[in-house]
Amino acid sequence: MFVWELSDTSANCDSFWIRRGRLGSDTGTLDQTHRALLPSYSSPLTQSRHEIYSPEGLRTDGRRWNEIRNFDCKINTHPTSADGSSYVEWGHTKVVCTVDGPREPDNRQNTTDRAVISVNVNVASFSTETRIKRQRNDKRLAEMNILIRQLLEEAVLTKLNPRTQIAVNITVIAQDGGLLPACINAACLAMIDAGVPLTDYVSACSSGVYSNNALIDLNTLEEQDVPFLTIGVIGKSDKISMLTLETQLPMASLEPVLATSLSGAHAIQDIMDAAVRKHGKHRLERK
Amino acid sequence: MISINDRKFLTEALKVSKRLDGRSMEEQRPMEVTFGSQFGHVELTMGKTKVVVRISAEITKPNERRPFEGIFVVHTDIGSMASPIFENNHQSEQEIMISQVVEKAVRRSGALDLESLCIVAGKKCWEIRADVHYLDFDGGLVDATCAAVMAGLYHFKKPDVDVDGGAVTVCDMEERHPVALSVLHLPVSVTYGLFELKNDETNEVEKVECVLDCTAIERQVQNAEITITINKNRDICQISKPSGVSIEGYRIVELCEKAFQEALKVTEMIDKALKEDEEMRNKGNWKALLSAENDRYEK
Repeated sequence: MFVWELSDTSANCDSFWIRRGRLGSDTGTLDQTHRALLPSYSSPLTQSRHEIYSPEGLRTDGRRWNEIRNFDCKINTHPTSADGSSYVEWGHTKVVCTVDGPREPDNRQNTTDRAVISVNVNVASFSTETRIKRQRNDKRLAEMNILIRQLLEEAVLTKLNPRTQIAVNITVIAQDGGLLPACINAACLAMIDAGVPLTDYVSACSSGVYSNNALIDLNTLEEQDVPFLTIGVIGKSDKISMLTLETQLPMASLEPVLATSLSGAHAIQDIMDAAVRKHGKHRLERK
Repeated sequence: MISINDRKFLTEALKVSKRLDGRSMEEQRPMEVTFGSQFGHVELTMGKTKVVVRISAEITKPNERRPFEGIFVVHTDIGSMASPIFENNHQSEQEIMISQVVEKAVRRSGALDLESLCIVAGKKCWEIRADVHYLDFDGGLVDATCAAVMAGLYHFKKPDVDVDGGAVTVCDMEERHPVALSVLHLPVSVTYGLFELKNDETNEVEKVECVLDCTAIERQVQNAEITITINKNRDICQISKPSGVSIEGYRIVELCEKAFQEALKVTEMIDKALKEDEEMRNKGNWKALLSAENDRYEK
């Protein structure tokens, strides 16, 4: 399995730690810090079949703490049905996103001095292991729509297209953890494909903590067991634009988890950039 | 809506660390809790924000997927009575976000022990319902709701039940002491407004100011909001920062530390109010008279 080694790209993350003065020395990397924090496992009896993080430093799917799952993305997957489209496969999470616009708004009364973004996330009922029928007004989905919309509004130069609407449709085909970040990354790629002006890449990543160890990019199994948070970042800055934490997390763990997810989000931006450039090259060659 | 002049005045004042109501940047409006005559009736005021919470309990069938657990629901219906910015019978985006944060802070943080609400597994359980009414709005809805619901849960007592095989008898409150709920911890929400302070000449953002407990007017000017829910055991139950202005990670960590200090104050306030109410109800020390327990003497 291809995994993206985070330690290569975590330069920003290191500086984050050093500035906070937690490392003690300027030479230490995030990697070493976490190795030092490895817990001492007392008894083999506590080990279950689904061990979240083994003493050897391996997770349930064989990843290390700093490895994100295979992030495979394509843009312009639906060239005829939408202005912009993308497909993101992040581990077993699969998301399709289409962007229509900037176009005439559905509701003419809603016209403002800037483009209005509308987001609609559609979760396929076969996307989870057990088939769940969604309620019609699912508040969690509504919240997710709002979170994605607000993050995109921050990155899109909406003032350049006044009195228009940009409709983002996201379809979730399969979920295995990291649903919100996958949707955000897919939406960013589709926006780029549609030619909507953005200030920079928008990316998101989740990470959790398991007995003093930060774990990046959790799958469903880990999300159920481990407290985690999701951040959304615009560009490669260490400023966090969106943050949601829904499970109880000890205060001491907040900082390593933030740092890890931040470097994860930056790594995702590199992969997305590579995919966009690859597509651009392909388009140029075809002409 | 706020006028351009008011907006300018407010931001200019923030630049010299002044707020309209004379508070400092990190000063929360004091909360005041009063309990009604019935168990689980709480009135909370925080500045001009006023919230009433009513906790009630009834026996229902548990969720099929969770047969050993009771049910706890929080109903937050923000109508136009609170403020004209909310509509009746229509959920605005702001309202969805508020109710979701309250839901995460109070319910999903596991503050109420759901397993203790089970009566007969898979057949009968208690459904605890918290109805939140907003009487007046001046910012800080999440903070006020969270504190009021938690105070209500601590205050509420449900009637005792007898289980004999499959038959469940609910005992009268007069006949037997009602039982308090098993509340595991007290999550406190603290909301900071983030303001982008721009340089007058260059129009570039000079710094991002974090202002605790914004009023309704300040809320209209703020560029982003971050709500941190934390308890006195230093567990962060929830953080919600929808987009808006970005902020560095270490500042979020700092905010959590400050939020923890605020949480301690709110916890203390609720504890004190509960104690006073308990003393008032126990006038004449009837509890000791009715108790069958023997005094224990130390020898």
